[in-house]
Amino acid sequence: MRINALFVEKILTGFIRGELAKRGFKKGILGLSGGLDSAVCAVLAARALGPKNTIALIMPYGRGFGPDLEDARDTARRLKIDARTIDIAPMVDAYFKRHPSGDLLLKGNKMARERMSILYDWSAREKALILGTSNKSELLIGYGTIHGDLACAVNPLGDLYKTQVRELALHLGLPERIRTKAPTAGLWAGQTDEEEIGLTYDVLDEILELLVEGRETAAEVAARGFPKKQVEKITGLIRRSEFKRQMPPIVKLSHRTIGHDFLYPLERGR
Amino acid sequence: MKIALAQYSPVLGDIPRNLDSHLELSAKARRAGADLLVFPELSLSGYRLRDLVAETALDPRSSRTFASLREASRAVALVVGFVEESPLEKGLFYNSAAFLHKGSLLHVYRKVFLPNSGMFEEMRFFAPGRTFRSFPTPWGRAGLLICRDFLHLNAHYLLFADGAEIILAVSAAPGRGVGEENGFTSCRMWEGIGETVSRVTTSFVVYCNRVGIEDGAVFAGGSFVYDPFGRRVAQAPYFEPHLLLADLDPAAVRKARQALTLKRDDRPDITLANLERMIHRDAH
Repeated sequence: MRINALFVEKILTGFIRGELAKRGFKKGILGLSGGLDSAVCAVLAARALGPKNTIALIMPYGRGFGPDLEDARDTARRLKIDARTIDIAPMVDAYFKRHPSGDLLLKGNKMARERMSILYDWSAREKALILGTSNKSELLIGYGTIHGDLACAVNPLGDLYKTQVRELALHLGLPERIRTKAPTAGLWAGQTDEEEIGLTYDVLDEILELLVEGRETAAEVAARGFPKKQVEKITGLIRRSEFKRQMPPIVKLSHRTIGHDFLYPLERGR
Repeated sequence: MKIALAQYSPVLGDIPRNLDSHLELSAKARRAGADLLVFPELSLSGYRLRDLVAETALDPRSSRTFASLREASRAVALVVGFVEESPLEKGLFYNSAAFLHKGSLLHVYRKVFLPNSGMFEEMRFFAPGRTFRSFPTPWGRAGLLICRDFLHLNAHYLLFADGAEIILAVSAAPGRGVGEENGFTSCRMWEGIGETVSRVTTSFVVYCNRVGIEDGAVFAGGSFVYDPFGRRVAQAPYFEPHLLLADLDPAAVRKARQALTLKRDDRPDITLANLERMIHRDAH
């Protein structure tokens, strides 16, 4: 699971710089939550594109997450990147005032999509490409909101497990406060990923690596001493979240159908 | 002789721009005193072409792109990678490499082993070649291989049996696996094969891999040259564009084959007899 963080940094900054250049963008934009993943992505973007070409949107829901807001602002200040704070409470509250719900997950998803909607708006205003901040652990178990935080133009972190993102964060010199705080999706106050998933990222990543990299079956992983219930929970999460990792299927009618046999690279001629 | 390896990143699907890069790099290699410049796999078109395969196909005998390259080969011999379509086989596209020297097309090799699993889908878009053949060059007999061919023992063996003294492998190998070492873990595989094959074929092994990123696939670079004693002569950095230069002494093949008589002692007849037995046994 250990990585050569210097080499990974070189690849990821090269990826960010190259993707933007190929698509005709100079600037990158991302949502900065105060958590680890977006902070790592912000450092990579600032190093790849320069602080002047990196835009961070900090999008708190009201004043509910004070410490995270401060951490996000602090990260932006230290990186000398352009940061703008937009409170999403007025938009989200206006919606739920008309369509009330007590379901926290529903509300959290709406908030995640509100943030992404604002990111796409500022992407167009600033001519800046959206950098995704979802890591491999989250993507595999589907711990993210489709068209919310899972949306982006390019994703530099999508092939790094959470524990590897932490290792990269240490190499990039992020403060301990951000590296060690409990990861949270920020859907509601006091929420933590590990409590919601029911596993620490250390254990989750170990199991994921055996299943994915090692191509082991759930039974083989359990035979190594991991609780069978935990392993099966994870395989279930992976299976049920496939839709979050793929483009929607198109029903084939013609002789040449998008996604089936109309197959072009994204970077054609660039 | 001096050999140069162009570890570069082509623009996907843009042949005119890539031709310009080829001509610029040829001029640079010539200024550095190179006799031969090797480009990576599909160097004129880029790798992840998918349906662009048909749009980027070239006939090396008639295309204007190749006319320019043949002209450039008067100053420095060239190995280039391209999508090949011959007028005799319309609609069949090969992942090919051409050896150009003194204005003529010395050899065209069509990739035999097209990877088609995991992240690879070459069989979906390309027709497979069928022939491994060495050919004479001013610096000794050479044989061409393309990327995945390099991982197949029989590809190396057939070139060795056909008299190759220089194995020229062109590649667009994506990096796979990040561990604690510098570079991708998959780079070790290529280097290990390079060392072993140069030793057991008592030949030069030249491996030119590309760099750049296409749709998220990271081409790892790390091009290298091994001499016929299994010694690494030169290696390019990982992931960064680089023009790698190496001096090869063609007389080294003779010395290596005196020291280790694997070529003299080879028995292609036994290989053939055994293969025939296995193939015919399996057929029944």
